[in-house]
Amino acid sequence: MLRLRFVLLPLAALVIAAGCGGKKPPVTQPTTQVPAPSPFPGAGGGASGGSTGSTERPPAPPPVPDSGSVSADPLAGKTPEEINSNSPLKPVFFAFDSDELDDTARQALNQDAQVLKTYGTWMIAIEGHCDERGTAEYNLALGDRRALAARNYLISLGIGGNRIRTVSYGKEFPFDPGHTEASWAKNRRAQFMVTSK
Amino acid sequence: MSRSLGLGVVMAGGVALALTSRPVAAWISEPLQQQTEFRMSLIGPGTQPRLGLPDFTVDPGDTELADASRTLVEVLWKDLDFEKEYYLIPRTSSASIPIVTDPKSLPFDRWKELGADYVIVGVVHRLSGNLDIEFRMVGIKDENAGKEMFSWHYGGSGCAVKNVRFCAHYISDDFHKKTRGLEGVARTKLAFASDRDASRMTGRPIQNAGQGKEIYISDYDGANQLPVTANRNLNVAPVWSPDGRDLAYTSWVSGFMDIYVRSLYDARPPSRPAGVDNNVENNLAAWSPDGTKLALASTRGGDWDIWVVNRDGTGLHNITNYPHATDNAPVWSPTGAQIAFTSDRTGSNQIYVIGADGVGLRQITFGCQGCDRPTWSPLNVIAYTAGAGPGHDIYALDLASNKTIQVTDGQGSNESPTFAPNGRHIAFVTTRWGKEQIAIIGINGRKETLQRVTDAGNNRYPNWSRTPGGQ
Repeated sequence: MLRLRFVLLPLAALVIAAGCGGKKPPVTQPTTQVPAPSPFPGAGGGASGGSTGSTERPPAPPPVPDSGSVSADPLAGKTPEEINSNSPLKPVFFAFDSDELDDTARQALNQDAQVLKTYGTWMIAIEGHCDERGTAEYNLALGDRRALAARNYLISLGIGGNRIRTVSYGKEFPFDPGHTEASWAKNRRAQFMVTSK
Repeated sequence: MSRSLGLGVVMAGGVALALTSRPVAAWISEPLQQQTEFRMSLIGPGTQPRLGLPDFTVDPGDTELADASRTLVEVLWKDLDFEKEYYLIPRTSSASIPIVTDPKSLPFDRWKELGADYVIVGVVHRLSGNLDIEFRMVGIKDENAGKEMFSWHYGGSGCAVKNVRFCAHYISDDFHKKTRGLEGVARTKLAFASDRDASRMTGRPIQNAGQGKEIYISDYDGANQLPVTANRNLNVAPVWSPDGRDLAYTSWVSGFMDIYVRSLYDARPPSRPAGVDNNVENNLAAWSPDGTKLALASTRGGDWDIWVVNRDGTGLHNITNYPHATDNAPVWSPTGAQIAFTSDRTGSNQIYVIGADGVGLRQITFGCQGCDRPTWSPLNVIAYTAGAGPGHDIYALDLASNKTIQVTDGQGSNESPTFAPNGRHIAFVTTRWGKEQIAIIGINGRKETLQRVTDAGNNRYPNWSRTPGGQ
């Protein structure tokens, strides 16, 4: 099964480059077909001045620091498990009881999309997680909505839907076991796991 | 009268899995004398009769039998106390009263001092590996004084010396049925998910170490807690098939959320009736009362809806089919004609009821905050979780009168109710003792009906079996 997917990947990438990938019509952002350079003019750039990392970037930077140099790529020889333990794919965070992507979340996903374009063979699972408030059953459903929101956005950025599966863990796996808003904020997340490469 | 005897769960060590079912063996349960009028006289209105349950007399010199008999009586005391059909006189209060073999020689005055209406007189003999019990209830007061109100004979392999808890549960259910017309639940079981094994899921980075949960089952009173799964993964939300032979549950063992159905009585690998599609998440299965179908929450239609599928995986179809809303947590009505579920289609989670065929939708809670996990009793009461947070409580809505009562008292958070098959108690998750534990409370919420079921690790997602002991 996995092997089959792996083989199909380059084909999928082509399909995406040619136009609409994925199985469902992307919901949010209109997809720009330009492969590498800054494909999201309006996505996160202008609106959110608040978050830090964004200002250091001039308008059209190279997509990801170590992209392109695959031969010297430290990630090349690593197993998915090793990659996941210090992942270049950044999680995105959500407001309480919400599955909406804010500007900060979109920015993180824009970068994640670049990573996924650089490593076009990676298959990922997006995990949706919740904080401890609310019932376990409710949070299992909410977690899936969060993962789905992230998946739909990545698809809108040109990542093939067949590379991205979603899974909810509800509130079962908190990142931070604390019981304050600071902990909860870290736990309301969609995070990325490389499942094969 | 032939009786089928569910032998309950036999499992090797901690190593989960296949339970063996034994054929129905020689169970002896027969009347010593018929007492037909008694049942009527007890069922009439009035206060609870006060019942004494002292130790039984055993064959002299057989200490193993004596120990088994004492355990039997202690378990039986709790079983009878559980339903509150009788007021059980504390055994410490009656400990100094001599036990007898002949009902006529009971120390009536001593029992009268304790206010007893009736006293159980039990005589236990060993018959190979089994207890053989003469069980009598004797009147203490007034015109009943010295009368045998109920007499029965229990024994056979269901009363094995090594498994007297089952024997006690059987006697309790039989006694409740014959003297009170009540379907007791002493032979029923609970299923739940527990992290007590502290197994870390494999394949996850250390900073998100996933604590696995395994499915466990236990007797209704928390005895005999045993693992059903041992896959070191996340397994939640077990539900008993109506015949008590299978469990459906949600597992992430494939890496994604899906419904699995596992037999407790053979070693077949679990089936996945909801479709086995890794792009679809399936969760929170619920058996139809006839055991032929499962309702579940699924993202198969693009967002969460309630789907129904035959237990063999055929006929999967969407019954709510409502776009851009989360429909979740289905449960069948006692007749199987309807399904209750939660939906946030109006903005906040409320409870709805829909025909099992997908027509006749109606909303049954309004303005409920944090509403979740309805459960539907045979007495036509829907219990559910609600609360604006941080904690939740269990509420019960009587559909006949449309009255809602709060069942739990606000201590800790109380969630995920599941009804006893006779509708008189609710098992639920509570944090009132710190970690998440399974507890049971009477439907009236009275404090003296609260009892704790689990204490190891965190325990969640309880489900109460529908039938006594399987089979």
